[in-house]
Amino acid sequence: MSDIPIKLEGVWKIFGTRAEEAMAAVRSEGLSKNEVLARFGAVIGIADVSFDVHWGEIFCIMGLSGSGKSTLIRHINRLIEPTAGRVEVLGRDVTRLSEPELRAMRSQKIGMVFQHMALLPHRSVRDNVAYPLEIRGAPKGRRWEISQHVLSLVGLDGFEDRFPDEISGGMQQRVGLARALASDPDVLLMDEPFSALDPLIRRQLQDQFKALSEQLHKTTLFITHDLDEAIRLGTRIAIMKDGRIVQIGTPVDIVTNPADDYVRDFVRNISRLKLVFAHAIMEPLTSDSAEKFAQSPRVSQDSDLDHLVDVAITTPHPLVITNAEGKDIGVVSKDRLLRGIQGGK
Amino acid sequence: MIYRTRENSSQSVADAVPHIADSVRAFAVARGDYYARVMIRIQSHAGFVATFNWGAAVFGPVWAAARGLWGLFSCFAVLELMALVQLSRGLFSDLGAVPRARADRLGENYERMLARVQAARDQGDETGADALARNAERLQAALEKALDQAQEAAAAGVELVIFGLFAFVLIKGIEGISANIAYEKHYSRWRADKRVRAGFQWTGAAVGAVFVAAVYSIALYGFTVAEPVAFIHTFPADKTHYQMLAAAIDRVFDQTATDFGVFFDGIARGIRFLLDGLEVVFVQTPWPVVMVVITIFAWRLAGPRVAIFTVAALAYIALLGFWEKAMETVSLLGAASFLCVAIGIPLGIWFARSERVYAVARPVLDLMQTLPSFVYLIPIIAFFGTGKPPGILASMVFGLPPIIRLTTLGLREVPKDVTEASRAFGATRWQTLTGVEMPLALPSIMTGINQTILMCLSLVVIAALIDAKGLGYDILAALQYAAKGQGILAGFAILFCAVVIDRLVQGGIKQKKGPR
Repeated sequence: MSDIPIKLEGVWKIFGTRAEEAMAAVRSEGLSKNEVLARFGAVIGIADVSFDVHWGEIFCIMGLSGSGKSTLIRHINRLIEPTAGRVEVLGRDVTRLSEPELRAMRSQKIGMVFQHMALLPHRSVRDNVAYPLEIRGAPKGRRWEISQHVLSLVGLDGFEDRFPDEISGGMQQRVGLARALASDPDVLLMDEPFSALDPLIRRQLQDQFKALSEQLHKTTLFITHDLDEAIRLGTRIAIMKDGRIVQIGTPVDIVTNPADDYVRDFVRNISRLKLVFAHAIMEPLTSDSAEKFAQSPRVSQDSDLDHLVDVAITTPHPLVITNAEGKDIGVVSKDRLLRGIQGGK
Repeated sequence: MIYRTRENSSQSVADAVPHIADSVRAFAVARGDYYARVMIRIQSHAGFVATFNWGAAVFGPVWAAARGLWGLFSCFAVLELMALVQLSRGLFSDLGAVPRARADRLGENYERMLARVQAARDQGDETGADALARNAERLQAALEKALDQAQEAAAAGVELVIFGLFAFVLIKGIEGISANIAYEKHYSRWRADKRVRAGFQWTGAAVGAVFVAAVYSIALYGFTVAEPVAFIHTFPADKTHYQMLAAAIDRVFDQTATDFGVFFDGIARGIRFLLDGLEVVFVQTPWPVVMVVITIFAWRLAGPRVAIFTVAALAYIALLGFWEKAMETVSLLGAASFLCVAIGIPLGIWFARSERVYAVARPVLDLMQTLPSFVYLIPIIAFFGTGKPPGILASMVFGLPPIIRLTTLGLREVPKDVTEASRAFGATRWQTLTGVEMPLALPSIMTGINQTILMCLSLVVIAALIDAKGLGYDILAALQYAAKGQGILAGFAILFCAVVIDRLVQGGIKQKKGPR
């Protein structure tokens, strides 16, 4: 097994009949998106995207509609062919796979969940979940056994014999997830799986999915247009704009260190309570202050703002921050705490 | 007081909403101020607004052409032409010419008759002279009548002139009143779509004027001149082209029939084989067995009510002695529908996959359904002769389009994300087709099958023309001998066949859809 389950290197996708020409021109002349459209009638879907996804992580790709995120995820299982670049999944270059090899990889190594569920309306829940196994030619007994198992994983025991239009949207998407898990793939591709659901159900499914992914230890590429969702689920987040990746980082990186105005705009309304930690907002202690803060409560430097607020409301004094050895290293006043919550104005 | 709409209103609204006035001016170009005023008046009233456009009234179609209102142009031109034809017939054409010619002829005959009377008198033949004199009197009466008619016809010319004149003035009035209303609509279209012709176009006026001049003069010439040049009334067609082409087509058909004789025979034999199998089932199996089986099918597929109806229909057919012929028809139909489905579904799948192929196929399918069936009976007879297999082929020409169309439609309506999901899980194209696309397209395909069967049935009577026998033959015979009773009875037999088959297939479709 390779070290990096998903690896993209300089992936480009240009749509249009003159994509190859356009690609060459982009390479040699560095044309912009609009110039390519004007000269070749071609649309740049993905522009020079590279990233690695590590084992067991949930890698979120966040972008608005039209940013190319859904196009990008379809490169992983080659539902869309890249114009240029290299897509490596589990150590193999998917663009070089033969048809049968590609089908084998799709049916055994990669599970996919779709925005609009894409369940087969003429099949029961059980047969929907078993569809990937059926394609592989698994006998019926085995198909039923496995589908029973994955349905219980997503909490749908007892719904096996229903049809998709008889269950709610949230349940339908859990069927979609179960179907993706049925062939026990190493990689999960989630294309905006929860965006069609109402907020309450979405939250529920996010929590359920997070727990499940930790339990099953799948590597997940997760597409979303919702930064909240990306922060809640993502181990790391890549922000896409106009087919390019603007920034890759952990949720904390993204929120505290936005790469440009575009990202800054996005993170403005994100709650920082769980993402920013004491050491990021504290003032260093001066040598003479030890006595000044004798009354202050001591808080570890790894506490998040949420915890600091909890402590701060119990005391009139500023909070003193301690390092791993319990030594005082900084101080957080209430003013500073409030500014920290706001985002360090 | 922006929205004051009484007297003086057009001016005040024009001032208050200057952008409309400006845009109308930009639109109308020539006489912009007039149109700005008129259109603001039209737009500020909800109902009909009476305005009179003198330019439109005087120049009629030419005005419309200059302003780019080509629909209005043809309306005006046709109306004016109608009035002008009446007017010019009254003014210039010799309406009394025909009766007057007759009167002249009668007059000559009368003179001659009088001469003969005189001659008879001179010879002393009194009785003969009396008889001739009576003849002469009759001729005289006829002559007077003809002269009256000639006078009347000449008087009718005055009426025509009056009517034509009145109509012409009326049409001019309509033109003047409707012009601004139509032009305002044109302006509204132009506001939303700048490709619409705006302004006053000299080229449009010229084209309109030339067209009007040409059409008016040819029409007026044709109507007024007593004996116009022949080609005005009869298209100068050349018979030899027609005969040459027909002969060439004959040759092509004959040649193809001999060159590919083996091929056509092969097809006919294949169909014959299929048909023989079906006839064994329907015709040669003892009737009680067939009847019971059909009834059971009706019960299972469509429920007890359809089963009862089926029994009644079958009883009608059997009691009136149509059983054997009906079963022949059903075999014919079965073979035709089977072949349609067997050929149509793969074609439908192909057309669903390829937009380009479908673009070529669509007009062919339209043609197959619109071509009068007698037309394609001709090549079918040429290649396959007469009998049942050619009858089946003729039915297929009519029956294939629905199944092809509805298969294509059904497959195209399969949601893209579902087929994508199937691919994402590693399905082959065949697996996606059979496991996802066909099941989802099935309701549409079943409707197609049903329509195909009924289309084939509708051709049964026509197929009887080329000796395909069955119930159609009875209708044909009844038609030949004007045997009303026989024809109606046989017609009902076909109707019952159709309804039973339709109910059975519909029941089958519902059952397919029912559990899912």
